[in-house]
Amino acid sequence: MTVNTSTDNLLITLVGPPNAGKTTLFNFLSGKNYKTVNYPGATVNSAVAHLQKKFDINAYVLDSPGIVSLNPESTDEEIAVNSLYKHPRLGKPDLVIVTVDASQLSRHLYLVKQIINVNFNVIVVLTMVDILNKKGFDIDEKKLGKIIRCKVFKIDGRSGKGVKLLLNHIKENQNQYKTNNLQEDSFSDTSSSEEVLRIYNEIEPIEEQTIFQLNTNKSIDLSKANKQLNLLTNKAIKSRCNQIDARTVKIDKILLHKTWGLFFFFLIMTFTFTSIFWFAQPIMDFVSYLFQFLSNDVLAILGKNWFGMFLANGIINGVGSVAVFVPQILILFLILGLLEDTGYLSRGAMLIDKPLSKIGLNGKSFVPMLSGFACAIPAMMAARTIPNRRERMLTIFILPLLSCSARLPIYTLLLAFLFPGDKAWIAGLVLAAIYLLSIISSVLAAAIINKLNHRIIKADDKSSFILELPAYRRPKLKVVLINMWHSGKLYIHKAGPIILVLSIFIWFFTSFPNFNPKIKVNNNITQEQVDQLKASKRLATSYAADFGKIIQPVMTPLGLDWRVGVALISAFTAREVFVSSMALMFKVTDSHGSLMDSMIGAMQKAKIGNTNQKLFTPSSIIGIIIFFMFALQCLSTVAVSRKETGSWRIPVLQLLIYSSLAYMLSFFAVNGLRILGLS
Amino acid sequence: MKTAAELKCGEKVTINEVDIQHPSAKRLMEVGFTPGQEIELVSKSVFNDPIALSVRGTVIALRKSDADCIIIS
Repeated sequence: MTVNTSTDNLLITLVGPPNAGKTTLFNFLSGKNYKTVNYPGATVNSAVAHLQKKFDINAYVLDSPGIVSLNPESTDEEIAVNSLYKHPRLGKPDLVIVTVDASQLSRHLYLVKQIINVNFNVIVVLTMVDILNKKGFDIDEKKLGKIIRCKVFKIDGRSGKGVKLLLNHIKENQNQYKTNNLQEDSFSDTSSSEEVLRIYNEIEPIEEQTIFQLNTNKSIDLSKANKQLNLLTNKAIKSRCNQIDARTVKIDKILLHKTWGLFFFFLIMTFTFTSIFWFAQPIMDFVSYLFQFLSNDVLAILGKNWFGMFLANGIINGVGSVAVFVPQILILFLILGLLEDTGYLSRGAMLIDKPLSKIGLNGKSFVPMLSGFACAIPAMMAARTIPNRRERMLTIFILPLLSCSARLPIYTLLLAFLFPGDKAWIAGLVLAAIYLLSIISSVLAAAIINKLNHRIIKADDKSSFILELPAYRRPKLKVVLINMWHSGKLYIHKAGPIILVLSIFIWFFTSFPNFNPKIKVNNNITQEQVDQLKASKRLATSYAADFGKIIQPVMTPLGLDWRVGVALISAFTAREVFVSSMALMFKVTDSHGSLMDSMIGAMQKAKIGNTNQKLFTPSSIIGIIIFFMFALQCLSTVAVSRKETGSWRIPVLQLLIYSSLAYMLSFFAVNGLRILGLS
Repeated sequence: MKTAAELKCGEKVTINEVDIQHPSAKRLMEVGFTPGQEIELVSKSVFNDPIALSVRGTVIALRKSDADCIIIS
């Protein structure tokens, strides 16, 4: 979708405090067709979409991260506030819709008041009115609109009731919004504590005037009903209106319990990570067979000429070896989305704030760290929610150590090699251990850097942790699924082209210049053997082999040869490329099982140079796994780290420290294991 | 002088004053902790810190060091 900012399009910006139903409203307005402006990831979301065609209004809707006030405290709030005044691509909004949770009216009117004071065209949307009703109260939106002098609509988040009225109003007034636009360019910061108090002093009477008690008793006499209209001035009733959700209190009694809280925290985390593997397995197998089938068919149809080999080996196997892992990544995004939507994520942040603060991090590092298991890039962006700069930098610094989903394909392949067939359940356990180790290593890294303090990460100011714990609610599956779909699509967009281009490159460098080598043929060997001899000769005389001789001395200490070296180097563009490079380097073609099976078969046959020594042994495989656990092999991560930290200092340190650490630890592991007698 | 950091679980009090010298004071006021508001300590985290306070119909988790600027008597 192209974003066109021509004058006949209205720009509507959605603003609201976190958890005020902003995203739900956005989904009603945009349908499924939105474009994520930023990378997805819990909390740092910014999306733009054209209003659904059926509404017949020419308008774009912009959704940005939730804000408490117009005085930003963290980088994500700063971005949201700035894009409200003047979005870098879309310009100034013609209309601002502020979502307000009716069950906590006074808190949320604070932001409304601030925005009205800046002279935007404002419409207020009241959400969660059903929660207010459940408490026995209702709100008079017409009266509220009169007092704050802007249009107010009630919208039901589940059914979408009220959206139509809102849109009709926008349609009738759209020309007015265009002409009557805001004059000021930026917000004059009048953010003294006195100002905060002044605004709240204005708000409190509004709450009393607009919220009234519902007639729960049907047969009620008129005099009583009249009395009830302004009953909120009564203190006891007011406190009942501000009561927090009883079910949430009950659930929190367990989930935030002193001992059980921690137990459930670990249980939920364990479930998250194990389900990535168990649920994805059948889908992965299916994708794996599909690509192998395709590749075999292409070879059968086109024959073993250069074009057939190029399609089957270069493109289908290269891309397929990575496509296999998309289901796992989708499931991870799904679970993260569910955890966020239920309201558990902020509880997790609260539970873990104390231990994290001991190592220089913050409870708010929890969400970035959790997203780090999907991908370091959205995770680094999610770190914007941490107000303290030092804690934010430290969080960004350790994120590459967390086991991102791009490493999953590599671990899965290598562990399937180590534990084939009926021992596969051990692979699951080892994988869990790898994840645990990645947490431990990131925590250790944070602790060490925190001790070294000012040498690596500068800037120090007051640390704090203030976070709303929203009421628990049933997740809106549709919203979560749409988010998952967009995250997955973005992942493929990011990794896909790199993998395709590198697959073609590596295929070329491993196949040429000697594509059709001459070999001595005895009469008593089969065609299949001839093909294999040709393939190995082709590789041994290729450009890649020439290059490999240069890097061989670096690979020998790790018990590996230049072929793995080439795969490792190509993996510096993106980790997943390692798998497709391996598939190409070891010429996976001659099997009829799944793609995974034939790769493992080829790896088992691989020998070091001309010797009879096996290339892939338990110790050398463990060495590669350890290398991937620590090395920062991802150009995009380096680029985002540069962007988010504002200088090259941190990304360069990350690259040097993590990659040399990876090499050393891998060296010690391989040689240590060999001394202990493991081949 | 008692602050919100010293509350016990389930204790319900009214905010008397917010210490505006404290670096977290403005944000706490913005999220709703203003003098005269009724607050309740809803729960504590595993290590007794952060604590969760209810205010104006929602629950806010905050560190004890932040809660120190909410003066209740």
